Amino acid sequence: MTGPSRREFVKAGGFAIVGLALLPNRRLFSAPAVEVIEMRSDALGSKVWFDPIGLYVEPGTTVRWMVKENVHTTTAYHPRNDHHPLRIPEGAVPWDSGYLVRPGAHFDVKLTVPGVYDYYCVPHEAAGMVGRIVVGKPLGPGAEPFDYWLGKPGTSDWHHVPGAARSAFPSVRRIMAEHRVHPT
Amino acid sequence: MKRLTLTALMVGFGLLVASPDIAAGQSKAPPGGAYKAVSSLVPLPDFLPGLGTLYVDPATLPAGPFLAYDHQGKLVSSIYMVPLKDMNAHKAFSDLKVAHERVDHVDIVYNAGHPGVAEPHYHFIVWYVSAQRAAQLVK
Repeated sequence: MTGPSRREFVKAGGFAIVGLALLPNRRLFSAPAVEVIEMRSDALGSKVWFDPIGLYVEPGTTVRWMVKENVHTTTAYHPRNDHHPLRIPEGAVPWDSGYLVRPGAHFDVKLTVPGVYDYYCVPHEAAGMVGRIVVGKPLGPGAEPFDYWLGKPGTSDWHHVPGAARSAFPSVRRIMAEHRVHPT
Repeated sequence: MKRLTLTALMVGFGLLVASPDIAAGQSKAPPGGAYKAVSSLVPLPDFLPGLGTLYVDPATLPAGPFLAYDHQGKLVSSIYMVPLKDMNAHKAFSDLKVAHERVDHVDIVYNAGHPGVAEPHYHFIVWYVSAQRAAQLVK
């Protein structure tokens, strides 16, 4: 599984049927696994989180982020996404859902390249709304310390991961042990 | 998270937002003038549960005021959004507009962020309706 991951996205539930119809027929019968990560908020918008915040999946798994409350994004830590540091495997395709505005809206990504994938919510990153997925093996930039890239060529315009986000990520070790880590 | 209903602070906050007035005629939606529907400026629903339908003069961002209206188009609150980083930097916000309405109570509520103010901030909500009526703005 060394090729770039194939991204599939469906922003609104109503488009799901259309998306399904476009899939090759064989996939209708193979029923690939889908893991759902909920995008949550309390009523005041004071507390926001992904649930699970840490997830282990096998390569080839489709991960679906679904809005339960508030307005969110799921956005990969990658320089293409507003100069964020690379924290997904090299060779994996970064994603950015854009704003998912209404409850039930969702966004799918198929993860094929093994490694650690860190992601964030654009309006809530500074508040610590981030998540981590381990695909197969705990490899790649996402398994490195947050500032591993300092001093490396081509990284001068990368942003640092905010403090609240750093403290929110579950450890790779815990994800490997528990497979699903829920926020506390 | 902490939610402070600070009616006792009304007088002090009133000093903060004492002038100039929001123009008459903005007690009903849409407020007109430079005010734009927030949902037309950033990807947010037209009606925000707990707050209402928001309008803002983009030139006043991020503090506002945001004018909030209920489903009947009645002005229910003025909201001022102040980023934590500005508070930590001791930044002053002065001469903020205020509506010509009787203030019922004030809520000061932490918000983790949303499109338009995509960083942790506080909502200073000057309510022109009772807490009971405000609680009905759930959907």
